[in-house]
Amino acid sequence: MGSLKPADEAMDAGFLATRVDALINWGRKNSLWPMPLGLSCCGIELMAMIGPKFDISRFGAEAARFSPRQADLLIVAGTLTWKMAHAARTIYDQMPEPKWVIAMGVCSSSGGMYDSYAVVQGVDSILPVDVYVPGCPPRPDAVIDAILKLQKRIERESPLKDILSGPDEVDERGSGQLTYQPNRAVERTAGDLHPHDPRASREDGA
Amino acid sequence: MSATTRQRLERALEGARFVESRDGMPTLEVEREQLIATLRKLRDEAGFTSLTFVTAIDRYPKEPRLTVHHQLLSIEHCDRVRLQTELPGEDERLPSCRELFPGASFMERECFDMFGIQFDGHGDLRRLLMPPGYLHHPLRKDFPHHGIEPDRLYREWDRDRRQASECAP
Ligand code: SF4
Repeated sequence: MGSLKPADEAMDAGFLATRVDALINWGRKNSLWPMPLGLSCCGIELMAMIGPKFDISRFGAEAARFSPRQADLLIVAGTLTWKMAHAARTIYDQMPEPKWVIAMGVCSSSGGMYDSYAVVQGVDSILPVDVYVPGCPPRPDAVIDAILKLQKRIERESPLKDILSGPDEVDERGSGQLTYQPNRAVERTAGDLHPHDPRASREDGA
Repeated sequence: MSATTRQRLERALEGARFVESRDGMPTLEVEREQLIATLRKLRDEAGFTSLTFVTAIDRYPKEPRLTVHHQLLSIEHCDRVRLQTELPGEDERLPSCRELFPGASFMERECFDMFGIQFDGHGDLRRLLMPPGYLHHPLRKDFPHHGIEPDRLYREWDRDRRQASECAP
């Protein structure tokens, strides 16, 4: 084992040897400032998460900002409708880089039970999502778990590379190129229609 | 149906046509042309001073396709009456009762938004729930469950936004 003396001396003198990436990531991951986009019932659970019982300040993410310009973590909590979609996208665009998104609840992850004309079938149609949280609504601890997972992910990022690569290299994340494809993976049959829909009536009268 | 409500209605309206309703509420069938006159009589003579809702039923593909319901409440007598007006599918117009009951304004807007019923004389028949620029009427039975291009308005907005940012210096 080599001597640890020089480092110890340096530490006594107020120094710490580390990588810049690690330092930046350490700062970022332990002070996530969430922007709560509470769109419906999940928003209530989000409030419980911020409150004293679950207390996300234990993980450094309690400073909920209601201005996207002061936040770096967008938590989409609830049902996003197409009428609201451009507002959500504008909020995302207004957040300064670096930024992350958590889709909280099945509604924002996939549209959930609202398989309908009014609801965006997953916020990933319009935003890049980092962590999805299942549940309707997810328990606050599930969202805390999502924040911890996100912290793990942030640890693996290499911010220095992004900073040094200059402004020419555009990060494709969040370029909004994803658009809604109405359930292209699902074959729809007459059985999926509303029973009162005239197209659902069968010829044999059964 | 209490006898007194019925008597009051008959006193106010000659030849009122009652129809069966499953919930037992006195229900009158009115022609589109008589609707405003009937509402006025009910309000002024039978004490039904409050219009509690305006909505419609789509019976597609049956004809007449749409039935518009006006439900009135008498605060004085503590009873309600329902008017039903049938409209054919191709000509979904109805006179607006905004002049008689100012509160009808929003309910008629909702009814227009969801069923596409044109309320003549409303004056401000904008969409209420669906965003402006939306083309369809979602509560119609021939409207598909997943909508028709539900993301159209978003995509248009997105395209304009991108073009604007490309032009920006
Ligand atoms: S996932 Fe469930 S609790 Fe959350 S917004 Fe949707 S319906 Fe509400």
